[in-house]
Amino acid sequence: MTQLTHAAIRAAGRYTGLSLRGADPDLVKRLHRFMLRLRICEQALMDEYHPADEMRCPIHFCIGQEAAPAALHEELEAEDYLFSHHRSHGYYLAKRAPLGALVAELYGKETGANGGRAGSQDLSSPVCRMYGGAILTGAVAISVGAALGEQLRGGRQVSVTGFGEAATEEGIFWEAVNFAALRKLPLVFVCENNLYSMYSPQLKRQPDDGISRRVAAFGVPTETIFGNDVVAVHQSVAGAVARARQGEGPTFIETYTYRWNGHVGPESDDWLEYRSEDELGFWKDNCPLALLEERMLESGWLTAQSKEQIVRESSEEIAAAIQFAKDSPFPTSPDWQGMNYAAETPAADALLQASSSSQFDQNQTFSMPGPY
Amino acid sequence: MRSLTYAQAINEALGQALELSPSVFLAGQMIDYKSGVFGTTTGLVERFGRERLLDFPVAESLMTSAALGAALAGMRPVIIHQRHDFMMYSLDAIVNWLALWRFKSNGESNAPVTIRTVVGRGWGQGPQHSKSLHAWFAHLPGLQVAMPATAHDAKGLMLESIFGENPTLIVEHRSLFSMTDDVPEEAYRVPFGKAVVRRSGGDATLTAVGAMVPTALRAAEILAEESIDVEVIDLRTVSPLDVATLCNSVSKTKRLVVADPAWRSVSIAAEVMAVVCEKLGDRLAAQPVRICHPDSHTPMSGTLESAYYPGEQQLAAAVREVCGQSRRRRPHAA
Repeated sequence: MTQLTHAAIRAAGRYTGLSLRGADPDLVKRLHRFMLRLRICEQALMDEYHPADEMRCPIHFCIGQEAAPAALHEELEAEDYLFSHHRSHGYYLAKRAPLGALVAELYGKETGANGGRAGSQDLSSPVCRMYGGAILTGAVAISVGAALGEQLRGGRQVSVTGFGEAATEEGIFWEAVNFAALRKLPLVFVCENNLYSMYSPQLKRQPDDGISRRVAAFGVPTETIFGNDVVAVHQSVAGAVARARQGEGPTFIETYTYRWNGHVGPESDDWLEYRSEDELGFWKDNCPLALLEERMLESGWLTAQSKEQIVRESSEEIAAAIQFAKDSPFPTSPDWQGMNYAAETPAADALLQASSSSQFDQNQTFSMPGPY
Repeated sequence: MRSLTYAQAINEALGQALELSPSVFLAGQMIDYKSGVFGTTTGLVERFGRERLLDFPVAESLMTSAALGAALAGMRPVIIHQRHDFMMYSLDAIVNWLALWRFKSNGESNAPVTIRTVVGRGWGQGPQHSKSLHAWFAHLPGLQVAMPATAHDAKGLMLESIFGENPTLIVEHRSLFSMTDDVPEEAYRVPFGKAVVRRSGGDATLTAVGAMVPTALRAAEILAEESIDVEVIDLRTVSPLDVATLCNSVSKTKRLVVADPAWRSVSIAAEVMAVVCEKLGDRLAAQPVRICHPDSHTPMSGTLESAYYPGEQQLAAAVREVCGQSRRRRPHAA
């Protein structure tokens, strides 16, 4: 393929490019484990969602899109910043934030990652430096600021922002690319091109499938990769994070992938007929887990038993997390003022003097501001 | 005590903030030239360099989001809009992100971002250089909005905002930039949510916001000659609003006039009147009056501009009206 596009990926047939040659077996096993755990957790949450209806917030599941979070999980340090789109669970787990708090957040419980204030689509874990939000290009722009802050203070941390291809239709996306390129910020853009903005396909919204070319015009290095090849995604992410950490500036990675589940909620939205059964079938046949497992089984890095163990552990882990969420209390007695404003001013207390002048010379004549 | 202009006081506050903490930086378009945003940043780049005074691209939206992101990395950004109108590009960043950052994180993460915004007036600034949307921003939970009327407060509120933990909008009015005031040399703070009584009086409360404060004081002078004793309150911050100071005064005077340099409908003036009526409605001796800009965009032409902006004579007339008006209860509708 000369230029990777969704059309070219379909035309090429089932992907055969995943290679473990020269790869570190432990690394590959960790990538696999992360993806399998994420898949099992998402599936369990989807199964639990209805008819219990105890998770009363919009959830955008990420089945089929496990590879990018797995690669980020591998490469990001605890102090690095990760900004997520609304399909947030993989990103949350990529920053090693606790699963129980994630599920409790979905249940709106006090023990939730954000005490039930945010839910799935506005999820964050400030202590783990993971930040999400439903208005996704806004998070891209904030990630630029975290990178700027690190650069100004001479820190070593990098900022990574994940978003879908539709985010590049917002004007602020290009403000972000322009400024990241201008200042050579320690930033990695991860565009998960899953072809659809809700139901609307990319080519209904953009003149062509060539976001990377447009970004490259700003002088930002770009890579386009088949996003369900987790080994390739990891390689790109690792290179981009290393460049950012070494002060070599931002990288834009476009990973072509696909969401299996409906846009929001566990139920299918295929009745809307926005995508074909063939297309969904193609992408299920190119499952990021299955593609990796085939090679791992060949190389002996995975066995039926070792997989079964991960399945068992992850299933137990998510079952315990759901139970924790169910057993947790709902938030009560809201302190509206404290929820919205910090009352303490420690820095101002330490640095500033008190002054209480109410004197003002009222006999000054009014002067109109000068021209311009 | 030393006298500084409003612009010099802001300049001094910014210089002291940059000196006090390496986490402070300024960002805005062309803040590093001698003109220095009407003198408020002049001379700072020579002292602190271009990595602490970022001449930002023409991207107000990104600038605001980037300030929030930088705050997450431990910085205390001050972003500067030479024209309040241009700041509207950044509404998503403010409304959907900055103002609810603390809330959304369940109090775990604060966003100490200071946004300076300058409202223009005169010389035909017209409809895209002179509007003041402080009421919009005061409506938002999670954001503080200051409207300093004096050089003293401009400095103290600036420092309080920079070293406080909440995101803050500071609305500066160009008609105030050349006005002088006593300004202490030290780095001092003026707290949010504390109005100040600029002039004591017992006949009526004249509550003024931002650029209307000097106008209100001139109106009070005019009225003093007529033996009408006006208490002038400068709100200083419109979010939070100092309801206690306001109500203390009105419970004494029983009469209220509000002067707000913005459109009349759904204004801070309307909020002040609502709050006073909620607390003291049955004790007022006269119906409250608000003096605002007409519900119209700002015209360029000088004659229309003069008709648009209320002055001390209109304020004085409003106070005379509330003082002359005895309380008449309307009969309840059947």
